[in-house]
Amino acid sequence: MDNDASPPGSKHDPTSAPGAPQPAAAPGPAQGAEDASAEALSEALRSSFNIVKMLMGALVVAFILSGVFTIKSNQVAIKLRFGRVVGVGEGQLLRPGLHWKLPYPVHEIVYVPVGESHTVTSTAGWYSQTPEEAASGQKPQPLGMLRPGVDGYTLAGDGDIIHARATLTYRIGDPISYVFNFANATNLLQHILDNALFYVSARFSADDALYRNKLAFQEAVQARVEKLVEQLKLGVKIESGEVRIDTEPPVDVAEAFNNVIKAQQQGDIKIQEAETYARGATNKAVGDASVILRGGLTASNNLVTTVAAEADRFAKLLPSYEADPGLFKRRFLADRMGQVLTNAQYKIFLPERADGKPWELRLQLSKEPEIRKKESPKTE
Amino acid sequence: MKRNPITVFTAAVLLVIFACMLFTFQVRQTEVAVVTTFGRYSHSVTNAGFQFRLPWPIQKVYQFDHRVQSFERKFDETITKDQINVIIAVYAGWRIADPKLFLESFNGDTTRAEQTLEPVIRNAKSGVISTNNFSDLISTNQAELKFDQIEKAMLDAVQAQIKQTYGVAIESLGIKQLGLPESITSTVFERMRAERQRLVAGYLSEGERRAKITRADADAQANKILAEASGEAKRILGEADAKASQYYEAFRKNPDLAIFLMQLNALEQSLKDRAYLILGPQTAPFNLLNGAPGDAGAGVRK
Repeated sequence: MDNDASPPGSKHDPTSAPGAPQPAAAPGPAQGAEDASAEALSEALRSSFNIVKMLMGALVVAFILSGVFTIKSNQVAIKLRFGRVVGVGEGQLLRPGLHWKLPYPVHEIVYVPVGESHTVTSTAGWYSQTPEEAASGQKPQPLGMLRPGVDGYTLAGDGDIIHARATLTYRIGDPISYVFNFANATNLLQHILDNALFYVSARFSADDALYRNKLAFQEAVQARVEKLVEQLKLGVKIESGEVRIDTEPPVDVAEAFNNVIKAQQQGDIKIQEAETYARGATNKAVGDASVILRGGLTASNNLVTTVAAEADRFAKLLPSYEADPGLFKRRFLADRMGQVLTNAQYKIFLPERADGKPWELRLQLSKEPEIRKKESPKTE
Repeated sequence: MKRNPITVFTAAVLLVIFACMLFTFQVRQTEVAVVTTFGRYSHSVTNAGFQFRLPWPIQKVYQFDHRVQSFERKFDETITKDQINVIIAVYAGWRIADPKLFLESFNGDTTRAEQTLEPVIRNAKSGVISTNNFSDLISTNQAELKFDQIEKAMLDAVQAQIKQTYGVAIESLGIKQLGLPESITSTVFERMRAERQRLVAGYLSEGERRAKITRADADAQANKILAEASGEAKRILGEADAKASQYYEAFRKNPDLAIFLMQLNALEQSLKDRAYLILGPQTAPFNLLNGAPGDAGAGVRK
């Protein structure tokens, strides 16, 4: 911009140079008006220029501020300079906070949500189900067969058909690999999960996969996924126990599987009953044995004590007996008979008949009632 | 005429931008590029970043996505070595290995590349499955299974065909579905039902068998315990008899008295309770009633 905005009159003041040639016409009122308008225009231009300068300054500030960006706490970011990752190793990842970049195409920022957990579900081995049916837990009607491409299922190692579904939760472990090496890492992970489900099903028996060893089935699926992810360097991180498995028998044979479970339970109940009986029988035998032993001990003690007492009594009575055996016997017999007659419930004395004939006695003996033991209920 | 430096700077910036557009290009981290000069291949760029070029129409730059692409082949039926029809679907992860070949083969079109890959993968899959038995794919015997080997054989077969021809490399290939034709599934269901019925019978009879064994074992154990206890009781009684016999030695001094005392005891014990005594006039002490002493003569019923 030309800088000729000197004050009017300073260049061509007629009074300042008397020897200078005089203008053809003396300045009149029109000349004065022209100078004033030129001065106003110059002032306006100067003001406009100042505004433009301010605007440019503001634009520069806006440009600098437009490069400021933030990375959230659950993210990292990767800065590309002309398409190439900036930095080396860990320095390639920009951590959460305030950062600055130049506009595209010099710099480009790729955000990676490393803190978020992502979920992939494999239903390649699950029966066809609408979301409404899945929500209500409704199962499909048995058709007697499974249609390829419609009804998902897996083949168990014993040739049986089962339904298996896997859900994998993962986080991004290596953002560079996950973002720049794979066009659709989630899709590839989905295929890997499908593969793991069929791979593991193929080596487990149906009963193991469905009931007996479900946990091992789950662990095997996780191990397979981790192995394939590692081989591909997919850049995802799977924590222990982040693969969840559902397995079910096909609806066509579900009743047969239920019958097996029932039979298993019935067999177990029979065994448990027998074990209860066994415990009871053994305990009873131990108790009875204890009674027998104590009875034996008591009897032996009684025997020894009684015989010892009798021997003692014998020794004491012997002198009396030897003095007069006949008297001794009659005395003792009479004494005992007295006791016997006292204790006897019924005593019948038959005096001699007048005709000297013997008495004829007729006894009507009724069978004594037996005390029947109450029969205990049978356990078998 | 004096130039404003801002104007000069702005013009210079515009000039640089224009020059960059004409003489440079950038290859993103996810890409590879092929540069052709007057339509002929010049060179490939596999390093990401800022690159120089001659302006169009002298040089032309083709940029391709270098990331692993996920390819999924729909299932189809194939036959194993032991003549079993199986339904198999595979997936593959592929990427551009040679940008020049890729450009020449598919003109850089990913869809065309996948259309070409499809029959190659299908043939490899059928070829490998036909050389393996069904038990190589599914078996509870780990030693028999060849799942990994089958997948690797498919990968090798595909890799051999495509890398040198199309400039495409397979990073991974795996089975993502394995099944049986519709009609076979109903046969499998019948077999599964029969197998479960057999299991039902097996579990019930096994429960019965084990319950019987448990009861019989328990009875035997109880009898053994009782027998041992009886034996022990007899032994104790035997010892008591042996001990008592020492006292019996004393009775030898006068066996007549000993027998008399024992008989008295027996008489007393036997008539202790619920006895009917029928006594005659000769029975002591009732013989006193006859005025003459006599010995016993009574009928006793207990």
